[in-house]
Order: sequence, then C-alpha cells, then structure tokens
Amino acid sequence: MKRGIKVFTIMALLALVFSLLPGQTLAQEVTCDSEVVVQADDWLSKIAEKFYGDVLAFPAIAQATNAVAADDESYTTIENVDLIEVGWKLCVPSTADAEAMLNRSIGAAMAEVEFDGIIRIGAAVSETGSLAQAGEDTREGYDLWVDFVNHEYGGIQVGDQRYGVEIIYYDDESDADTAANLVERLISEDQVQFMFGPYSSGLTMSTSAVAEQHNIIFIEGNGSSETLFERGFQNLFATLTPASFYTRSAMDLFAASGVQTVAIAYEDEPFSASVLAGTQIWAEELGMEVLAVETYPRGATVAEIDPIVTKLKALNADVFVGGGHLNDGIAFVRSAKSLEYCPQAMVLTAGPNFPEFAEELGADAENVLGPTQWEATMGWVGAYLGTPGEYDRRYQAMFNSVPTYQSAESTAVGLALHAAIEAAGSMETDAVRQALRDLDIVTFYGPINFDDTGKNVAKPMASGQIQDGVFTVVAPSDAAVADFKFEPLSWCDG
Amino acid sequence: MNLSDLILQAVINGILIGGFYAVMMLGFSVIWGVMGVINLAHGEFLMVGAYLTWVLNRQYGIDPFIALIVVLPAMFLLGYIFQRILINRIIERPFLIALLVTYGLSVAMASTVKLIYKADPRVTDTALTGFWNLSDGVGIPATKFYILIAALIMMAGLYLFLQYTRLGKSIRAAAQNKEAARMVGIEIGQVYAITFAICIALTGAAGALISPTTSIFPFMGPVLTLKAFAITAMAGLGNIPGALMGGIILGLVENLIATLVPGVGSNLGITSSFILLVVVLVTRPQGLFGGLKPAEAR
Repeated sequence: MKRGIKVFTIMALLALVFSLLPGQTLAQEVTCDSEVVVQADDWLSKIAEKFYGDVLAFPAIAQATNAVAADDESYTTIENVDLIEVGWKLCVPSTADAEAMLNRSIGAAMAEVEFDGIIRIGAAVSETGSLAQAGEDTREGYDLWVDFVNHEYGGIQVGDQRYGVEIIYYDDESDADTAANLVERLISEDQVQFMFGPYSSGLTMSTSAVAEQHNIIFIEGNGSSETLFERGFQNLFATLTPASFYTRSAMDLFAASGVQTVAIAYEDEPFSASVLAGTQIWAEELGMEVLAVETYPRGATVAEIDPIVTKLKALNADVFVGGGHLNDGIAFVRSAKSLEYCPQAMVLTAGPNFPEFAEELGADAENVLGPTQWEATMGWVGAYLGTPGEYDRRYQAMFNSVPTYQSAESTAVGLALHAAIEAAGSMETDAVRQALRDLDIVTFYGPINFDDTGKNVAKPMASGQIQDGVFTVVAPSDAAVADFKFEPLSWCDG
Repeated sequence: MNLSDLILQAVINGILIGGFYAVMMLGFSVIWGVMGVINLAHGEFLMVGAYLTWVLNRQYGIDPFIALIVVLPAMFLLGYIFQRILINRIIERPFLIALLVTYGLSVAMASTVKLIYKADPRVTDTALTGFWNLSDGVGIPATKFYILIAALIMMAGLYLFLQYTRLGKSIRAAAQNKEAARMVGIEIGQVYAITFAICIALTGAAGALISPTTSIFPFMGPVLTLKAFAITAMAGLGNIPGALMGGIILGLVENLIATLVPGVGSNLGITSSFILLVVVLVTRPQGLFGGLKPAEAR
C-alpha cells in the first residue's frame, strides 16, 4: 500500500512537471513569413484575416511573435491578445506553420472550445410590437458580446476556469406585462444566473422589479429613465447615461446661441418623461422659458401628433424639444412639414441617431438634432473590444448593418458583467454585485462606473445633428466632430 | 395665432383626417355588414397596402397617389385569394371563430412583413406637398387635402357601385337577407368573394394614402382597427354616407379635444373616440345613421 502511494505520488509529480513545461517545442523553429508593425485601428484578428483570411487564426500570430521575441527584442511579447499597441512588431508565420501551431487547417471554423461551464443569462427583448426595431439592435448588441466571449476571448475567466456564455431570449412583444412574465419564467423555470435588460425604460421598469424580487442581478443598457433608480433596488445596473442628461448639451448650444423660449412635447412614457423633465431643469438653469409641455400617447400616429404641432405652432417658441421613439420622431417631422411648423431648431429625443431617420426622411431630416449615447466616431479606447471604430467594423462584419448606440450600450452590458465576474473571480450574486459596484473601467462605449443606485455616472451624453444627411456629433466640445449649425429646418424659410 | 385661429385649424385638421378615417374603415364596416365577419386583421391589410406603396415609391419612384393604380387591383387580388382560401370557411361559423381566425391572420401578417422588411419605420414621398395659408398661420396642409379628395372619390365610387350596379345590389341584398338573396338566384359565394376583395382593395388604398403622412411599420395595424370599430359603431354597418359623417365626427372630436386641452389633450383625444364608441353602442346600436343592420354578433 505504502509503495503504491509512493508510485502514485511520483507519477502525479511527473504529470505536474510535464504540464508546466511550455507546450510548443515548435516555437524554436518559427520563421517569420512576414513582419507586421501594428498601425492605428489594427487588432490581431484583423491582421489574421488579412494574412490568412481567417479571423480566428490570431493565436498563431501571438504565439509566433512571443516565440521570436524570446530571442529578438525588436519583437514584443504579447501578454494579452486583446491589447496590441501601435508600433509593436509582430511575426506572422507561414500558413503551414500557423496550421501546425493551431492544430487545424486555417480557414476552417474553430472547433467549439471546451468550456468548464456555461453561464446562463436571460433576456426578454422586443421582437414584435412598436419597439421591435430597437429591440433588434439590443439583441444584436448582446449577441456580439456572446460571440466575442465564446469564439475569441475563450470564455470568461473565473479563477482558473473558463466559462462560455449563453443568453436565453424571449419576445416581450413591446409590452411591459408580457416582459415581466417572461422574466419570471426565465428566472424560475429556465434558472438563469443573470438577467440582461429589454429595450426602453417602460419595459425595464417592470422586468427589473421581478429580478429584484428574486435577488438576480439585472444589468441593462436601454432604460435610462430616472424613476428606474429611485426604487432602492440593489441588483439593478445600467450602463447608459441617465435620461435627464439627454438634452443637456443641446440646451447648452441653444443658450449660447441666444435662444429664449422652448416648447416641449413628448410621448407619455417613463423614458421621454425623464428626458423632458431634465430638459426643463436645464432650461431653468440656463435662463430659458418653457412655453408649453404637451404629451401624446404611446404608438401615436399622425392623428395624435397633428394637434400637438398645431398648438406648438400657435405658441411660436424659439426651439422645440421632444419626441419619444423613432416612429413618432419620424411622424413629428412629417407633421411639422405638412403644417409648416417652423421652430428655429428641433431636438428629437430618439430618432436622429438612427440611420433610418435620415434614410427615410431624406432632405426633411436636415438640421434636426438628437441626443446620442455613443457614436462610432468617438475616441474611447477600452479593454476587450478596442475603439468605437473597431466595434463598428466588427458589428458590420457580423450583422451587415451599422451599429446604433442601442447596440453599443447592449454590448456594454455584457462587458460590465464580464469585467465584474472576472474581478470577483466568482459567479456568486453577492460577489458579482460588489464587483459591479466597484467597477471603474473604460470600454469602447465609454466609461462605466456605477453609483449606489446603479446609474452609470461616469459617462457623458452627446448631441448630434443631421448635417448633409449624416448624423454628426456637435456637442459637447470634446466629443464634437463638427460645429452646430443653427439653421432653419428644410421646409422653412430662413 | 389666437384662440379662434387655433379652433379653425383644429376643425380643418379634423375634417381632413375625418375623410381619411371614413375610407380607412369602410372596408371593415362593409365586410361586417355583408358577411357578418369582424375582420381583426383590418389594420394589417392597411399596413400591407402601405408597404406596397413604399416599395413602389422607393424602388420605382412612383408617387403614392399614382401608386393607387397598382395598389387597388393588387389588394383586390389579395383580398379575393384570402376570401376564397380562408374567410369563406368562417362565414357560416360561430362568431368567435371569425375573431380568432382574423386575429391569427393579423399576427401572421404583421410578423411576415417584419421578417421581410424589418421593423424599421418607413415613409413615402409625394410631390403633392405644401401648405396653403389662409390667414395668420392657419391653413390647409396640401397632402392631407389631396388624401381627402382621393378618399371622397373612392367612397363615391363604392356608393355608386352599391346603388346602381347589379353586383352592388346583389351585395346589398345578401347583407339584408341571405336566404332571400339565395332564393332569388344570387350566387352568395361569389358575392362574398367580390365584397371582401373590394373592401381589402379599399383598405389597402387607405394604406397607400396614409403613407406620406406618418411612419409605416409592421405593427401599426391595431390602433387603426380599433378606430375602425369606433367609427363603424357610429356610422352603422356598411353605411357609406354614415361612414363619412362618422369619420368626420371622430376626427373633429379628437382634434378639438387634443388641440384645446393643454398638456394631456392628445391622450384625451384618442380616449374620446372610444368613449364615443361606448356611448353610441349603448344608446343607438344601429349607428347614428342606421345601416345594413345593427352592430351585433350573429
């Protein structure tokens, strides 16, 4: 018996020693087929794509570079495949060598990595109903993160284990009660460990309450209404800038341009109500007078919006600030044009940032302003997914459409959970919750730092304007790529 | 702009949208009156007409008003096909079956359109734009005026058809008394098919007309179906002049309340249409102007 244990111990020690040896003896024989100096906006998978036509072949480049870096200091040792810097010299091995390193043929789909487990996340998003369009953006944002974690990042690191992620989706039909029921189902029946939020403050209101009851962490990126965070919830975290800040930078622009009166009209639901409540605060702060505050019902059509435009025309305020979601934003522009309502400037709370706004309205969209949480032209640089430009390219390659800020803030939701789990080294709710509270990172989406109520207080809100058919960031000054044009709307005379 | 100007503009808006409402709900009303089927997919047929117009507008540059030439026959065909394969089977059945089937149809149609065109809102462009100033900011929006004209022409056409043509009279006969109509040799199946097709054509045309004024998306149907209900109750089943009056009444009530009540006016406007519906159903179920028969389940 004693001898058996001795043998076993020696075997175990030998196994341990062998496991710690560097695995690739091939590394000594690497020759660099090409050398690459990293340029701005490069990332490893892009270089892999360029040389091998296979985005997932990047580990070969990293491996080869690290191998030659051991001998040749002009090459950099790559510690983290997600972070390469401009000016680094990389070694790109031949396709044959790369194939040997990866133990597969290049260009083939990557074999499913063996994860130590799967993290189950639930999400009710709008696939039908009036919010379907932005619901799709939300889902694509989540899916991009899932794909990144499972196929590039190699799984979330929890201690020394790697976990893949899976999101279970249901269609909430743009209805708050349906969404709440689905969340109940996701938590109780599907046993998800974490929840991601739906699109819109209205749906987030009901769904986050269900998650709070079950003590499940609920991270969202598409519900910005202040009322969400006034309920004392412990498990709610939001990556986006809160609603009351949406029109801040536009109002600053107006004040600087001498505007004195504002007319407000909005869709009667929590998000728009928060945005426009904020607008009234900024108006007061900046010394502008609010002449009217009108509301219209959800899902409003031209029949509901025409009377509002008629009223606002009679009031003749300098500028108009309002709206709700994309549908009524478009209807508003059409209605204003048909009734010849001509404020000096128009801010729509959700609309101009969507490419569809300018595409559908054409020349009518010119000079309309809108707030934006994020644009691909901004300058953030983050862990995991790089810059907004890189995110934009990645998104386009995956979905064949341009990412909106709704997609970006959804991906940021995934990143927040990702970073928190890795920081906590655990998937236990209490540990992850504390890690989320302590989180202070910069992502491609901007800074993420939650306050005690779950709001992201580190991220500023920008304003954009449709200029020559393109949504261009004009404020605040450190994010602006062009100047604000205080010019009449396209159907109005100067 | 003072108060009287505001009221005047509200009245103008109300009449214009009222005319549109009339042509929008007429298809719903006639189907109910003639066939006893409450078509819950009504708004979705309108939406399909709107999307068809959008495709013609975006891909071929055809103005929505001109696109009517294509939309009317296309929707007629669509209606005929749907009637033959689906609606025909539910006409003689219990009333709830019609509701279930047409509701399922509405969901299927909206989801199919969403799959093809995504949920992004769309608009069409028309050359008939402008605003005719009457005085001091009050005026008539050109596009909506032309929509009213087109609506009136179509309603007049339907009225003349029902009053004076043989087929039209057969339709009215079938609505009044199906058995008697059969007895005098009217081919009821054919009558129903043509009726349904005409109504869908009209509804699709309404979709074409509304397309330049508002955003088009796959789930725009339900609110319009609800308004069709409200106006049908006021107008009486299948009553064309009643539809016009009912549409205008609704348009005026909505617009006057929405324009004159500050703050929540617009919300009250849409509420008022349903309050009106309830009041009319309780006090005068055959409609304010009478109709083919009272609005009731068979």
